[in-house]
Amino acid sequence: MIKILNVAYKNLLRKKTRSGLTIIGIALAAWVLVSLLGFNKGYESSLNRDIDNLGFQMIVTAKGCPYEAATLMLKGGTGLRYMPQNITEQIAREPEVEAVTSMLMQAVFDPNKGESGGYSAYLGVDPATFPQMKSFLEFKQGKWFTDPDALEAVLGYEAAELEQREVGDPLLIIEKNVEVKVVGILKRTGTQDDGTIFLPLNSVQKIFGVKDELTGVGIKVKKEADMVQFEEKMYKLPDVQVVSLSQVKQTIMTLVSTAKVMVFSIALIAILISVVGVINTILMSVMERLQEIGILKSMGATAWDIFKLIWLETLILCISGGMIGAALAMATAKLTEVLIRQLLPYAPSGGLVQINLSLIILTFGVVILIGLLSGVYPSWKAGRVRPLEAIRSQVE
Amino acid sequence: MLGVSMMKKINVMFVVAVFLLIPVELLFAAVGCDLNDPDRDVARLFPGSTGYKTNYVAIDQRGGPSLLEQIENRLGDKFKGLFETIDVPYTLYEVFKGKDKIGYIHGVNEKGQYGGIQVFVVLDLEGVIKSFYFQKLTSRYGKQLRDPKFGEQFVGLSLKDFYNYDVQSGKTSGPSAVEKIKNPVPEAEPDFRAALRGTKKNLILVDEFILGNKYLQYHQSGGEQNK
Repeated sequence: MIKILNVAYKNLLRKKTRSGLTIIGIALAAWVLVSLLGFNKGYESSLNRDIDNLGFQMIVTAKGCPYEAATLMLKGGTGLRYMPQNITEQIAREPEVEAVTSMLMQAVFDPNKGESGGYSAYLGVDPATFPQMKSFLEFKQGKWFTDPDALEAVLGYEAAELEQREVGDPLLIIEKNVEVKVVGILKRTGTQDDGTIFLPLNSVQKIFGVKDELTGVGIKVKKEADMVQFEEKMYKLPDVQVVSLSQVKQTIMTLVSTAKVMVFSIALIAILISVVGVINTILMSVMERLQEIGILKSMGATAWDIFKLIWLETLILCISGGMIGAALAMATAKLTEVLIRQLLPYAPSGGLVQINLSLIILTFGVVILIGLLSGVYPSWKAGRVRPLEAIRSQVE
Repeated sequence: MLGVSMMKKINVMFVVAVFLLIPVELLFAAVGCDLNDPDRDVARLFPGSTGYKTNYVAIDQRGGPSLLEQIENRLGDKFKGLFETIDVPYTLYEVFKGKDKIGYIHGVNEKGQYGGIQVFVVLDLEGVIKSFYFQKLTSRYGKQLRDPKFGEQFVGLSLKDFYNYDVQSGKTSGPSAVEKIKNPVPEAEPDFRAALRGTKKNLILVDEFILGNKYLQYHQSGGEQNK
C-alpha cells in the first residue's frame, strides 16, 4: 500500500503546476465550506446569546408606542404612549412570569446637538428589578443607582463616550434643565444598551411629569411556560402591544436565511467546480500515461491495482486541498466575520464564525467524499485500459 | 430586489475577502469626531469647494507613545480619562477645489461641564483658523457659546498664538492673541476652557498629522513672544 501511495505521490509531482492548481481549487472550496458552516453555527448561537442578554423574553408596551430608542429617535422623540404603572403588578401575578421590570422611555430635544439639534433619550428603570434582570451587564466604572428617587444616571459605553462622562460628572437633561450625577459607566455590550442613558424610574417620572406611567414592561418568562399561550394572554390586556423576542429571533433568522441560501449556493458551485477540476486533472493524467499504464498491466498489474493508484492520486489532491482550505478558513475567520457583519441586515455581537474540530472533521469528510467520487470515473477508465492497445496507440 | 442586492454584496464580499486584509482591531477602536454630514458641512464651510478627502489618523498608528508624549508636551496637558486615549481615530478632511487643495477641517471631542463638546476648526493650508464652531455642545449656555460672534474671535489665529496659553490654568504667559478671546458667559467657564483646549489640541494634531510640524519651532522656542 505504501508503495502505491509513493508512486501516486510521485505521479502528482510530475505535473507540479497542474496538481498545485487543482489543490488550490479544492482548498478554496474547502475554505468557503468551513467558513459557511462556521457562520451557520456561530450566527445562531450569538443571536441566542444576544437575546438572552436582553434579560427578558417579552416586552409589553402601550399600543403604538415605539419600544426601543432607535425607533423613538427616528420618530423624532414623538409617538410615546403610556400604560398605567399598575400593569406591572397585573403581569407579575401571571403564573408563567418569573420576573418583571418597569421601564419609562423619554426623549428631549437638544438644540445644540448637531447643526439643527437632535434628540437625547433617557430610559427610566426600576433599580430593584432591572439590574437583576440584566445581571450580565458589567461596569467600566461605578455601579447601579440604588435609590429609586436619586438624580443619578448610569451610561452605556457609547453614550458615555459621546458625552465624555465619567463617574462623578454631572449630566444635564437640557430641556428640563435638570442635572443628574453619573454613578456608573457600563462596559461595551454590542447591544442597544451601549447608547442608553439609564435613570431611576421614579426620577424620570418626576422630571418629565409622567407620574405612574410606563412605556414598557420587560418580562422574564419561566422556562417551562408556553410562550405562545402566554403571548395570547398578554394581548388580552387593554391597549397593549406585545413584542416577543422569539418572534424577533424568528424574523431575524428569516432575513438571514435569504443570505444563507445565496452563500450556500455559492459554496455548492465552488464545490462542483472543484469536482470538475479534479476529474479533469486526473483524467488528463490518465490519458497522458496510457502507455505507462499499459506496460504496468502487461507486467502483471491488475485493473484493481491501477484503479487504486489513480484513486489514491485523487485522494492526495483532495486531502491536501482540504487541509489548506481548513487552515485558510481558521486563519481568516475574523476577516470573514467582519465582512459578514457588513452584509447582514442584523448581526449579533460575539463570534459570528465559530470553527471547531467537529466542523473541520465534517469538512474533511465532505472533501474526502468528493475525492472518492471524482476519482471513480478516471480510475475506472484507467483500470479498463488494455495493455497492447494502450502501447500501440502511443506508438502511433 | 433584496436577492439581487444581496447577491451583489456577496460577490463584493468574495472579491474583498481576497484582496483586503483589514486588521480587525481597527474596526472596533475608540470613536473619533466626524462631521455629521460631510457633504453638506464641507460645502458650507468651504463655499466653492468641489470635493474632499477623508483621512483617519490615530496617534498609536502614527508614532505610538512617543508621539503621544510629544503631543501632550505641546498641549501642556496629559490626555485624560476613559475616552482621550492613544487609539482614538481622528478624522481629518482635506478640501479641494478642482485639483487644488484649499484647506482642512478637523474636530476633537472635549469634556465639557455637562456633556461632550465637539470642537471643529476650519483651517487654510498654512494652518490658520478660517472658522471655528461647536458641532455638539451640552451646556446651559449653549446659545451664547454657539453664537457666531464667539466663533469669530478664533478667526485668523494659528498654533503659534496658542503656545503660551496654558490649558490647565486657562491663563496666558505673556501677550497673546488668545487673551483677546472673551468668554460670553462667566458661568460657562469650564465649557469656554474646554473650547480653547480643544482648539489647541486640534491645531497640534493637524500640525503633527499633515503640516509636517511647521509650528513645532514656536513651541520649542517658548511660544509667540519668542517668535
